[in-house]
Amino acid sequence: MGPGVRDYWLSKLFFDLQNPAAAAEYRSDPEKVLGRYPITEEVRQKLRSNDVPFLAGRTNPYLLRYFFFAAGMKDEEFIRRLRNG
Amino acid sequence: MASLVGVYAASHGPLLVREWAAVPEDQKERLTAGFRELGRRLAEARPDVLIEISPDHWVNFFLDNLPAVCIGVGEAHDGPPEPFLKEFPHRELNGHPEFAQHLARTALDAGFEPALSHRLKLDHGFCIPLWRMQLERLPRIVPMVVNSIEPPLPSIARCLAWGTLVRQAIQSYKEPLRVALLATGGLSHSIGEPTMGAIDEPFDRDCIRLFGSPAGKLVDYLHDNLPKTGNGAEEIRNWIVAHGAAGGRGFELIDYLPVPAVIVGCALAAWRL
Repeated sequence: MGPGVRDYWLSKLFFDLQNPAAAAEYRSDPEKVLGRYPITEEVRQKLRSNDVPFLAGRTNPYLLRYFFFAAGMKDEEFIRRLRNG
Repeated sequence: MASLVGVYAASHGPLLVREWAAVPEDQKERLTAGFRELGRRLAEARPDVLIEISPDHWVNFFLDNLPAVCIGVGEAHDGPPEPFLKEFPHRELNGHPEFAQHLARTALDAGFEPALSHRLKLDHGFCIPLWRMQLERLPRIVPMVVNSIEPPLPSIARCLAWGTLVRQAIQSYKEPLRVALLATGGLSHSIGEPTMGAIDEPFDRDCIRLFGSPAGKLVDYLHDNLPKTGNGAEEIRNWIVAHGAAGGRGFELIDYLPVPAVIVGCALAAWRL
């Protein structure tokens, strides 16, 4: 995706998971939550494998950070993956 | 006629609350003292209304509806929705619809087109500085959201013009209202990008120095240098609005300290009026 282009539904998932109850549901059953969003299979795979740089190219950086925080990833690990994949 | 009684700015990083325990003791003391000093000055100015300028951190707005500038014109606004701010003492903050509508009208008459909201959720950007300033009594809040989170962002020159417009709106308001302004956010930080955690102290110190120069120099510097530093520094737009509102006479720096534990170059300032 080019600069400024956003994956709307991926971003919407990240936005919605700011709600603590939604984040808890995602941590316990991510597939159930993902099923509610028309996100492509390629992007689902990248979510499952925590491919931070790939996802970073498709959403807002603040939403990206919120998502991995909500998903339970420590900041140190998030930053390492942002830099190194 | 209303009067401008104070113009201030303060950083607002969420880790100032969420990771407070991790901040070294000497930095805790300086931050606490800085926020208290800002609170003391604000209380001494006795504002009836506080125009507060902050971005919206994906609380009110999303990609389906994303204003560059939004003025809160409602009678009340909601306190912060973030779970880590559940101890913030206000679940509802009073607004000032009459002044806010006057600000909006003044903007529209001058060719500016802000979005309006009759009920905003005031996230950490608005509430952490208010909390840390330890105010006994909150003035009525007129929130002004300036987008510095999701590009494209309003230009620095436009933000300066917004400041001038806010000043005009205060001067043209007929009632004897005491109005203060608090810009929040910045200085340098980086969120959700490979440089996350980095604090750009040379950038911060250049900005602090340039707030004492003619505004054109500051605008040019930011135009050239904002793209080279972390995305969180884009929040300096709020400081630019404050600078324009204060008449561009520069500020007194209350404190500046890079705080790695909260990943922000933390600054607090009070403008000369």
